[in-house]
Amino acid sequence: MEDLKAGDCISDLPESIIETILTLLPIRDAVRTCILSSKWRYRWTTLPDLVFDDRCLSMYNDGKLEQHSFIKFVTRVLLLHQGPINKFQLATSFWQCYPDIDQWVLFLSRGDIKELILELGEGKWYKVPARLFNCNKLTQLELIRCELDPPPAFKGFSWLKGLSLHQVSIAPEAIESLISSCPLLERLLLSYFDSLSLNVRAANLKFLYLEGEFRDICLEHTPLLVTVSVAMYMTDDNTEYFEQSSSCSFIKFLGGVPHLERLTGQIDFTKYLSIGDYQGIRPITFSYLKVIELYEVSFEDTKEMLVVLRLITNSPHLKEIQISGSSNAAAITEAPNLDFWATIFPKDCTFRHLKVVKMTDMSGVPHEMEFIKFLLASSPVLEMMSIALSLYVRDRRLSMLIELLQFRRASAQAAIFFMQD
Amino acid sequence: MSEVDMAVIKPEMMKSYVWLQTTDGSIQQVEQEVAMFCPFICHEVLQKGMGSSKSYAICLPQRVNPAMLSLVLDYCRFHQVPGRSNKERKSFDEKFIRMDTKRLCELTSAADSLQLKPLVDLTSRALARIIEGKTPEEIREIFHLPDDLTEEEKLEPLKNTTDDPRIRLLNRLYAKKRKELREREKLKIVEAEEERVDDRSVDELLSFINGGNGDSKVLKTSKNKKKRRRRKDQQKNASHSEVAETDERESNGLHPMCHDTELDDEFRPSSSGASKLQDGEDDIFAPKVEFDDVDDEIDPALKEKIDREVEDFARRLNSVWPERMQELLSFGQERRPVHFAVNGNGTLRRCGSAEQK
Repeated sequence: MEDLKAGDCISDLPESIIETILTLLPIRDAVRTCILSSKWRYRWTTLPDLVFDDRCLSMYNDGKLEQHSFIKFVTRVLLLHQGPINKFQLATSFWQCYPDIDQWVLFLSRGDIKELILELGEGKWYKVPARLFNCNKLTQLELIRCELDPPPAFKGFSWLKGLSLHQVSIAPEAIESLISSCPLLERLLLSYFDSLSLNVRAANLKFLYLEGEFRDICLEHTPLLVTVSVAMYMTDDNTEYFEQSSSCSFIKFLGGVPHLERLTGQIDFTKYLSIGDYQGIRPITFSYLKVIELYEVSFEDTKEMLVVLRLITNSPHLKEIQISGSSNAAAITEAPNLDFWATIFPKDCTFRHLKVVKMTDMSGVPHEMEFIKFLLASSPVLEMMSIALSLYVRDRRLSMLIELLQFRRASAQAAIFFMQD
Repeated sequence: MSEVDMAVIKPEMMKSYVWLQTTDGSIQQVEQEVAMFCPFICHEVLQKGMGSSKSYAICLPQRVNPAMLSLVLDYCRFHQVPGRSNKERKSFDEKFIRMDTKRLCELTSAADSLQLKPLVDLTSRALARIIEGKTPEEIREIFHLPDDLTEEEKLEPLKNTTDDPRIRLLNRLYAKKRKELREREKLKIVEAEEERVDDRSVDELLSFINGGNGDSKVLKTSKNKKKRRRRKDQQKNASHSEVAETDERESNGLHPMCHDTELDDEFRPSSSGASKLQDGEDDIFAPKVEFDDVDDEIDPALKEKIDREVEDFARRLNSVWPERMQELLSFGQERRPVHFAVNGNGTLRRCGSAEQK
């Protein structure tokens, strides 16, 4: 009896714990447990989540052979597996043998797969088979480097909550109809798209991440959106297109997001928002907006500054601002029209909840300094402001500091951190 | 009592205790906020009103012995304090988890029965870290697992993905080892590497040596053909692995059969230095290499193979592996007995005999 007690105690742990442990292991280790002992023989076969990534590959870099054995391994695991497969993830950085993935997708589509992640390598993009659209229990779909072609009769994934397409080749109309035909969609990530005019209609969407060269983004119907993150590139073609259009991008993008809590904009986003005519439009209030992060804002561009000001002054509950500048140091030499500049800042504005401000990539341009001055004077509960200079203007550090010292602070607790690199 | 007295006494009185009883009968009292961190105890207190006194002590589940209870309570005592930073908690967890694996398993079990999910997650992760990257022998040793699978079951065709020439060779060796095992146990089973060339002449020779009668010689030529085919069939039937799958794929018209064979050809010649690798990983399953050899058989046999394969595959899907073994063994009994000889390069070779036993 003593021996038994001192012996095997792991095999008798509850099934759920064993499953957790096996799920934490790389799949190769998990499958190998089948030869540990008779109790462990079939335990791995009921694992619901199968993740095949680079950890399955051997250390010997023998391209073709490795791929061949990888394919065999995946196929074998699928064949020997018992029970439902909830998640199937394929993440390999090399891939040339597409017919096998077709078979696997076929196999998975016969079950009730819930999460499918296909991350494929560089080279010719894989065309996802039409069987994928039969997986109507999908809740998460993530595709990287694929070609997607939904059949015309496709009615959408009724249970899909998360859709992530990165470097996916798909027709623009197909994308829009895919998004709008998934009623439960909450998270959407679109990345690496070229010249896409996007119209988003997703009644339940909460998180939106966009990255690429979008021509136009219109959030037509996204009432529940909470977090938006956009990294937008504007090429010269796009700029021309914009100059011709008269519609106001600010309204098109931010007009219908009353519950927005977090906004992140990168690269040319503020420039994009500044396009179009805003005059005469009723101001929108972002009652829930707490965090604004805008990168690469050109402070000398009046229109961009107006956008920034519009955002922060219409967000009564704003807690945190993070802005990075992209001012050209050479622009400093031009005599700025500071009088006009001072007028754009509202006089009696108070940020009642603003606690943290982070300014990065500052060049010490008068426009930037005016902005900082404005923030300091209007934030009674400010706790921290950090300022980091851009690498190119080290010599301006001292003059900036001198100017900073003069600014009035509305908040007694405000601590200013001047970042040294 | 004056107010001052009350103020002094109050903190003491406010601190309440929960009474817990472990399976060995011992009862102890624990600070309420610490004990209530465990959902099980919380439930007992709130829903059933237990634990307020010694006579109404909460009976803890069987898997919680006093040693484990004290560990669990240490964990609760630290984590129930709200003011701690994530970094502090993480660092505590890392130190806390350092214990021998037996205790770790017991702790996992205890935490699970007390429904303390954060601790279960922590211990599960620790156990997974222990298992990861180790060979089965090492794992068996650490956890004292009984090595109670038969050699057959261990050599099941679940191939490891590390597939370089040396390991393929090792697999071939294991295949031979398995053959020897079968041969030892049941002499009537036939599974051998097929010699494509010169089979007939050797057969004739050996049967002559073994004293076969003149009739068998005549019958042999036609029988040899049948044997060869049946041998292939039987080998096919015995296969759980690549051949099955590639065939299945082929019957779907998707994957060229030859693909396997080309690769195998590349590695065929390497046969030296094999003995060194025998100490290698036990967990690499033989992919039935002899079937790979069979793969580059003549094409006419292919079609028939595919047909049978589809039938067998369907049957196999419905059967459990031990049953399949039985099937294999029984299939072999229909065959004629065969003598084995060893070739020059150390491989086994089947020497046909027409004798029926």
